[in-house]
Amino acid sequence: MKWLLGCCTLLLCCTAAPAPADTGTNVPDAVTRKSGLRLTPMSRPSQLYAANCQGCHGETGVSVAEIPPLAGRIGYFVRVPAGRAYLMQVPNVALNPNSDRAIAEMMNWVLTTFSRAQLPEDFRPYSAEEVGRLRRERIDVKARRGQIVEELVAEHEIPSADWLAY
Amino acid sequence: MKPISRTGFDRWMEHMSRRTAQRTSRRGFLSLCGGWVVATTALPLLPVSRRAQAADPHEKALAARKFASEFANKAQTTDPTRCDYWRYCSSDGYLCACCGGGPNVCPPGTSPSPTSWIGSCINPDDGKTYLIAYRDCCGQDSCGRCACLGEEGDMPSYRPQVNNDIVWCFGASSMVYHCSSAALVGLAE
Repeated sequence: MKWLLGCCTLLLCCTAAPAPADTGTNVPDAVTRKSGLRLTPMSRPSQLYAANCQGCHGETGVSVAEIPPLAGRIGYFVRVPAGRAYLMQVPNVALNPNSDRAIAEMMNWVLTTFSRAQLPEDFRPYSAEEVGRLRRERIDVKARRGQIVEELVAEHEIPSADWLAY
Repeated sequence: MKPISRTGFDRWMEHMSRRTAQRTSRRGFLSLCGGWVVATTALPLLPVSRRAQAADPHEKALAARKFASEFANKAQTTDPTRCDYWRYCSSDGYLCACCGGGPNVCPPGTSPSPTSWIGSCINPDDGKTYLIAYRDCCGQDSCGRCACLGEEGDMPSYRPQVNNDIVWCFGASSMVYHCSSAALVGLAE
């Protein structure tokens, strides 16, 4: 009899014990189930970057030669007003179906994650209002980029145009 | 021992009562009752699956397979060589898993494209949304096995960054398409 009571008590204790701490999701999948791979949810801006930019620009902001790297570079653009506007006027940002707020969050995340060292000291994050205003303008991307790089060189923000060669 | 009564019935009753008192244990009876009380209350607490009765809408959707995605409602997570494997919700092309590779491994002789388009699929087993990179394997002629067409999130080709008709071999050593793989990028939401 005692063993039965003991078992019952043990069962009660087991079912009442707190669940183990959540360390992400083990992806239920034929390939990953065995590996025990666990994933934690991505932050909203990094998710937006992954779904809209990462395919070409790469997970770490660096990709193949045909695609301009973001890592260690994109921050320079924010040093002049025209460059700050340019980041919102490149076609896939300007025409992106996401909200101004979501794009502001995403671009602030990209700048501080991939290019913090290149940001100006007085860097202000983009606001939703600013994004909405800036991305209404359509530009000739290649010509505008050339002008901005020249301006950055003239203002001694970068040593030469090669720093931001395409 | 002096009998209480002389009648046969009384004697019989007395005999039975004394026998019961001598041969059974009150504590044993009590513990048996207690055991039953605890066991019957503890049994419903056992960790059995009660997913179908759960009130949580997420759990309900999981049990009934009613996701926002038609593809996920019919998808499976065990066989990457079939079109209804959950990661292929937006895949258009030949499955690398049927061509000597895996769902996220290129077959020998081909190389993964450094660029891809990224979509998202719901895993029907946990109901969560995962970001998936549709990475083409390039460098050999078309594989030709397991042609699948998933169209979730696919946009017309004037939105090329989210179009799956395009050969995504940009930046690869060769623009010749062989098959499509689907690599996990991360967990959304």
